[in-house]
Amino acid sequence: MSLLAAVLAFALPVVFVVVPLALFLVYSFFSVDQGTIVYAPTLGNYVRFVTDSIFVPVFWNTIVLCVSVAIICILIAYPAAYLLTTLKGRWRYALLMLLLVPLLMSYVIKIYAIRSILGLNGFLNKALVALGILQQPSTLFVFNMNAILLTLSVLLIPFAILPIFLSLERIPQTLLRASDDLGASGLQTFLRVTLPLSLPGVVSAASFVFVLAIGDFLTPQMVGGVSGFTFGRILYSQFGTAYNWPFGAALSVALAVVVICAILIGERFGRNRGTSV
Amino acid sequence: MNQNTDLLTLRGVSKSYGMVSVLHDVDLSIQDGEFLTVLGPSGSGKTTVLRLIGGLEPLTAGEIRLDGQDISRMPINRRPFNTVFQDYALFPHMTVSGNVGYGLSVRHVQRKEVARRVAEALELVQLGRFADRFPAQLSGGQRQRVALARALICQPRLILLDEPLAALDLELRRQMQEFLKSIQREIKTTFLFVTHDQEEAIGMADRICVMQAGHICQLGTPHELYYKPNCEFVARFFGENNLVAGKLGAVEGEQRPIETALGRLICSVSDQPLLKAAPDGASAFAVFRPEALRVAGSTESDNHFSGTIADLAFAGSSTVATITVGTDNAAQRLRLRVPSRIDGSALKCGETVSLSFAPHEGHLVLA
Repeated sequence: MSLLAAVLAFALPVVFVVVPLALFLVYSFFSVDQGTIVYAPTLGNYVRFVTDSIFVPVFWNTIVLCVSVAIICILIAYPAAYLLTTLKGRWRYALLMLLLVPLLMSYVIKIYAIRSILGLNGFLNKALVALGILQQPSTLFVFNMNAILLTLSVLLIPFAILPIFLSLERIPQTLLRASDDLGASGLQTFLRVTLPLSLPGVVSAASFVFVLAIGDFLTPQMVGGVSGFTFGRILYSQFGTAYNWPFGAALSVALAVVVICAILIGERFGRNRGTSV
Repeated sequence: MNQNTDLLTLRGVSKSYGMVSVLHDVDLSIQDGEFLTVLGPSGSGKTTVLRLIGGLEPLTAGEIRLDGQDISRMPINRRPFNTVFQDYALFPHMTVSGNVGYGLSVRHVQRKEVARRVAEALELVQLGRFADRFPAQLSGGQRQRVALARALICQPRLILLDEPLAALDLELRRQMQEFLKSIQREIKTTFLFVTHDQEEAIGMADRICVMQAGHICQLGTPHELYYKPNCEFVARFFGENNLVAGKLGAVEGEQRPIETALGRLICSVSDQPLLKAAPDGASAFAVFRPEALRVAGSTESDNHFSGTIADLAFAGSSTVATITVGTDNAAQRLRLRVPSRIDGSALKCGETVSLSFAPHEGHLVLA
């Protein structure tokens, strides 16, 4: 029985994660001729990725975009999670659930909703005009990189709140009382005790958001327009439009390397160092 | 020790959580430089006293005065007291020296000065070599000493210790008791120590404050509490006292008789105005310690009765005998403690012995 469990525990990730990834890796060394795959190993796809003037800049811009999304999500999610932990009992979890409700909604519907908020006649433009911040509706966040940035941030905030909330909640109250007792002000206690002890949660949240953002091609596709070109969209087009699976696989491998790095960083710094008090 | 100068006074202090009252109208004076232990069973309100003094919780009523100044509303971070928490509450992300120096660095003491005083404090608690370790890398006793160093580095007027030894094993606890006591003598700071362990309290305290159900029962030196408890609770709480119920007779000078199932017992009432004033026939207990009971060598003036040895328990230097006295329906068990002898105890199970104790070793408490 335990042997079966052990075999399954190893087999399931191998079959559903490692094998597909390995297949991608293998395919990235093939090439395409006249729409059919040539099964002869070549480094051509990687050479093309590095030398072509399109791919590396888009790759880099996408990483910058996703790091920005992660930063925005953290900046919004941290205060939200912090306020949640200051609430007592039932309210705390009721509000947490409320913040996580968007996760239950269809991704596409959410993107449509945000798109209409960001549009030229959308809520955001109207609000800014009404407040007198803008003279007339702006195209600043319509079908471009900014639109992707805002949309991804809004969509992914719940994923940042949860790990931060959990890490804040795990901080023993006596540590905060001990800090008060030793003469620290509220701000000092926050900066020297609460913040450092919640950093693992912040790093987990950031790597979470980053990984989800960089793998997303639907959002850029729907709100990015022509100028909002991300690596995910290129990848999608290689598989969907260009039917160049080997090259798409090579681009996927490049993306996977970044994602794995992000996860490793999150794992390395997201762990609490022996928090036995 | 500057005896008899009050450092801190609690007057009419009460605390309730919602409808539940945990502390009722407590008066307590803490003298400058003393080691005061607050002793009580769990739920007696002893930790609440400490938390109110430390400012961890607000008072419901009453006032706390430091050097005559009311500090009841003073926020926790401005009170010149530091706490050693029960679970140590060391900051896991800071090294030992980071933890110890915390109280100074949040007060913006210069870095050099902090380093000097941290080294000094760690020297005092014999942890100099561990300055760069993290709390997770320390043993329980070492964490305990870090917590102590962290509390005393700010030179507080009062150090509050909330059952700090509860998590340690027996041997380590003994060592830490001596260690705490010696540190307290060395730095001459007032210690307020909360515990439920009466042995710990007797071993360490200059004075003990016994609490029960949100009240202070008795405040006195360990000797006073041990030999002159002022109520049934204290008499029972301190170890293995013998309590025999009865009715008080008329006062005879510094002594007063009590009619019990064992007969008429004469007990001392010197320095006990309450018991001198109690009406004749009032319910009370005769209290005497197991080591006050004697099997032989009694004199005429002693209290005499006989009993049967039901059980003998060898406890190293002494042997404790459980003795049944009185008739079946009024049978009572007493404890007798005699020094152990290398050739075996002279007592035998089932043997009937005649027992006695001197009136000055007997004591009365009202029921």
